[in-house]
Amino acid sequence: MTSRCPFPHHLFSRKPEEPASPSRRALFKGAALVGGAAVIGGLAAPAHAEAPPSAASPVSAVPFYGVHQAGIVNPAPAAGMMISFNVLAPTRTELSQLFQILTERFAFLTQGGKVETANDAFPPPDSGLLGPVIAPGRLTATLAVGASLFDDRFGLGPVKPASLQPMTAFPNDRLDADWCHGDLLVQLCSDSAEINLHALRDIIKHTPSLLMVRWKQDGFLPQSAVEAAGKLTPRNLLGFKDGTGNPKTADAALMDEVVWVKRGGSEPAWTAGGSYQVVRIIRNLVEQWDRTPLIEQERIFGRNKLTGAPLDGANEHDIPNYSADPKGKQLPLNAHIRLANPRTPETQANLILRRPYNYSRGANKAGQLDMGLLFNCFQADLEAGFITVQKRLNGEPLEEYVKPTGGGYFFALPGIPDRNRYLGQSLIEAAAAA
Amino acid sequence: MKPIALSAGLAVALFAGAASAATNPLDLVGPISDYKIYVGQQVDQLVAHTQQFTDAVKAGDIAKAKALYGPTRVFYESVEPLAELFSDLDGAVDSRADDHEQKEKDPGFTGFHRLEYILFSQGTTADAASFADKLNTDVKDLQGRIAGLSVEPKVMIGGAAGLIEEVASSKITGEEDRYSHTDLYDFQANVDGAEKIVDLLDPLLQKADPALTGKIAGNFKTVDAILAKYRTTDGGFETYDKLTEADRLALQGPVTELAEDLGKLTGTLGIE
Repeated sequence: MTSRCPFPHHLFSRKPEEPASPSRRALFKGAALVGGAAVIGGLAAPAHAEAPPSAASPVSAVPFYGVHQAGIVNPAPAAGMMISFNVLAPTRTELSQLFQILTERFAFLTQGGKVETANDAFPPPDSGLLGPVIAPGRLTATLAVGASLFDDRFGLGPVKPASLQPMTAFPNDRLDADWCHGDLLVQLCSDSAEINLHALRDIIKHTPSLLMVRWKQDGFLPQSAVEAAGKLTPRNLLGFKDGTGNPKTADAALMDEVVWVKRGGSEPAWTAGGSYQVVRIIRNLVEQWDRTPLIEQERIFGRNKLTGAPLDGANEHDIPNYSADPKGKQLPLNAHIRLANPRTPETQANLILRRPYNYSRGANKAGQLDMGLLFNCFQADLEAGFITVQKRLNGEPLEEYVKPTGGGYFFALPGIPDRNRYLGQSLIEAAAAA
Repeated sequence: MKPIALSAGLAVALFAGAASAATNPLDLVGPISDYKIYVGQQVDQLVAHTQQFTDAVKAGDIAKAKALYGPTRVFYESVEPLAELFSDLDGAVDSRADDHEQKEKDPGFTGFHRLEYILFSQGTTADAASFADKLNTDVKDLQGRIAGLSVEPKVMIGGAAGLIEEVASSKITGEEDRYSHTDLYDFQANVDGAEKIVDLLDPLLQKADPALTGKIAGNFKTVDAILAKYRTTDGGFETYDKLTEADRLALQGPVTELAEDLGKLTGTLGIE
């Protein structure tokens, strides 16, 4: 959240004894040019972070710099995309270079400006999807690392986030290896699918020798819910409001508790300000669901389908009173919301921040639609958060209608204060010192 | 030289810098004429090897036909950008089942991959004779058409990128030769064909952009070194399933970067 004033002659910090490699020098030139682009964006965007960005910025830029990465606690815009990558960089040096390029591209893409051009005999450096000048469209680009990045390739093992691990199958999962895991996860969220696609193609174009797409899934949210952010809960593709019980993102102290890894404790120091991210591609068996009586649907979720109210309440945001219904007469004991959040003092430690999208991708050979939830959540503690919640949900009646098929566990990196730092720098430096 | 990925920044600097000086058309006469000779030799070999291959098919010698399948195709794969100019022949000679609505059942599914399917998947040559005859006729037709072809500079130069795009889109996944798993023959042939073009242009490229030229050479060297690990003693290749995941990933970066860089050759040489 520091100054976004452009800094055309910025250099990335490096140790004085370390000679700049040709590629590093190249990157500096790039930074200078991107800085130039930021000047153009800066004409329209507020020059200082004190100005509230969403209200005052006519180009709808979400600030890129800050203690935490964007794309986690800011309201989710209409279009989301998760891209998992294999890292092709052979050593830690190239990995650090990759982080720098990604940081440079994220900073440009999220703040907007004039695209790069070339002599007509060359392939254009920009895909042109958004025209000659990019309006950010609330784009956030969020970088997370997977457990496999901490294997023996880069010597990062000693500084791995304490509970980062490969996702393992829960009993109801039907995981497809082609849709699981990844060295890196990039989450792109913006006002439209084209903005995300433009950003993805830009990232791919700039990292040919360093990154390879492993899987990609895009998603969407109802426009009405996006426009009324915080007031209208989006519905999932089963027709139920999804996110009513989410912790309030405006409550910074609560976010510190639920979402962000704190300094101290069992985590390596470099992780402070980051967050564990879980992505799950959960197919909804919608034809079967649509042939299920309403009363059963509502008992499976524990909510009124129309209003979103818990079955023991009248309004969406009424807090279910489980102690008054110990036998589950009104709100079944195995209802989704009751298992997910039993609302006891002990289960407060299991809160997670969900930020899911809906997805739709064709049909199978039986003529049934392949659509569902691109589940996405953030938490300070992976074991206490998603893994514990999902274990409580194992065997829930909803399982008959949903099949998780892919996704993975990742760690969303801490934010960076300004353009003197790059995403992942604290990780690289911690590994070098380990 | 270890290939170093150039950052976006340098690419931008190159793009933004002075437009490349146009190459004198006279300087291209030599490389183009040499390339035509190379292509002619490859196609002559294709015709000769296809004859042996289809003879074995028609003789019902499945073992011999299988052994000749991979080594025969390389002479098509190395000159694919020119062969593809004749789309009717390319479809007849080299289309895959996926290119046809009815897949393997499609009567339009002919050529190398139809015979591959018959030999490696069905293990028979019972219905193969007509496909063998047609393939022979088609490659001879191709030989005649290529002999009469005048090669435009941008076709030759763009061909290098086209060959690597082939590798990047289908060879690297092992989906080209799905019944025989001889993909590494095709992979190497595509790379060889691209490398030949770059070699012929090397003096011009060195003059126009030595850094880019060096990076391209480095990536070719990396790819060749990885593929060499899978050479068999008879000069052929192991089947694609022997390619380790680590090596597949190690090929991905240089191949993708080659695709990006070879796409810049016409611009680098100032060819409109």
